[in-house]
Amino acid sequence: MSVVGSGEPAGTSTPGQGGRIVVVQVGASASELHPLRLVAAGLAARADFDLDTVEDLRLAVDQAASELVAVAAPDAVLTCTFCLEDARMEVTSSVPAQPGAILPQDSFGWRVLTTLVDEVWVTGEPDSATPVMSITLSKRRSNNTVTERR
Amino acid sequence: MTPANESEQWAATDGSGYGHLATLFVELVKLDLGDPRRAELRDRLVAEHLPLAHNIARRFSQRGEPQDDLEQVATVGLIHAVDRFEPERGSDFLSFAVPTITGEVRRHFRDHAWAVRVPRRLKDLHVAIGAAISVLSQQHGRAPTASELAEHLNLPREQILEGLEAAGAYRSSSLDSLLDADSPGAALEEIVGAADAELEQVEYRTTLGPLLERLPERERTIIKLRFFAGLTQSQIANQVGLSQMHVSRLLSRTLARLRDQLRGEP
Repeated sequence: MSVVGSGEPAGTSTPGQGGRIVVVQVGASASELHPLRLVAAGLAARADFDLDTVEDLRLAVDQAASELVAVAAPDAVLTCTFCLEDARMEVTSSVPAQPGAILPQDSFGWRVLTTLVDEVWVTGEPDSATPVMSITLSKRRSNNTVTERR
Repeated sequence: MTPANESEQWAATDGSGYGHLATLFVELVKLDLGDPRRAELRDRLVAEHLPLAHNIARRFSQRGEPQDDLEQVATVGLIHAVDRFEPERGSDFLSFAVPTITGEVRRHFRDHAWAVRVPRRLKDLHVAIGAAISVLSQQHGRAPTASELAEHLNLPREQILEGLEAAGAYRSSSLDSLLDADSPGAALEEIVGAADAELEQVEYRTTLGPLLERLPERERTIIKLRFFAGLTQSQIANQVGLSQMHVSRLLSRTLARLRDQLRGEP
């Protein structure tokens, strides 16, 4: 595993104060995904997301990375970019994929992803000779709204 | 302690001794690889030395790893030792096997380093955090944040984060059980029924259904409640009478298992 970078986002559309980007790379193999789960949960807990959201993010990042491992080219490196904003966390996972690879969206894995996060989408160019497949997921914190009291 | 002393100690404490097996190793190396008697002899040597592997596994107990796992790892070490031992080199099997088995167990601990040696302080914290999650979830109708936990427990936020990281990083089924409530909620069957209806509507029930049926009942219920009835983890914890931390761990483990199985049958 390598932590490629960590710091303030460079873009102009991201918030200056709460924004933070962490990039982690691991081998695209099921046994190497542990650091991604730790980073997802660690960043979200530290940013004071409620623990249901923290655990959902941990599972979602694991699921997204596992989906990509299944289509990864041999010996590929999986890059995971965690972008933390005030109200939400966005995670983009990318991997060099086998040519022609697709991510089926009627699978149980996709169901798991869409249940766990608010938004999830796939980008990729399967027709390219050296395709890169990405899954981006986004989850809002649920505790900045008025808490429902019983 | 040198390996030689160590092996003498094992031989001495075991009582029965393994000396009578020495000649079998000489026989073993004389047999051709394809000879069925070789496999038979190898099996016997492994079986006869099993108490040694189990003794070594016991020496590593109380470090947070399940005893079954340790015995299995030690047995793998024993099999390696039987396969690699060269009696013609003059040393006896025990002085070769003990470091080989111990090395295998140590490697297991190194590979699972986060799973062991959690300080007492963190274990206490784990129990306190688990109980606080439950109380605050009831109060707020959603899971608490790290800051809310810190306030409730009157502890620094940094310490709560440390405790949460440890909780996510090591297996703690025994601690989970301390926190888990007694009985499932009464409305559970109704919610599971709704989840089943949702599950029926999706196309992949033909592949997923049989896999779900093969899961233990508790894991199956939790998967249905999270992904087909849309309950949050703390709502599920409340319904099935487990701590949120325990539900989280079960979900994670069960998803990994389902992924493997779904991949296995395309």
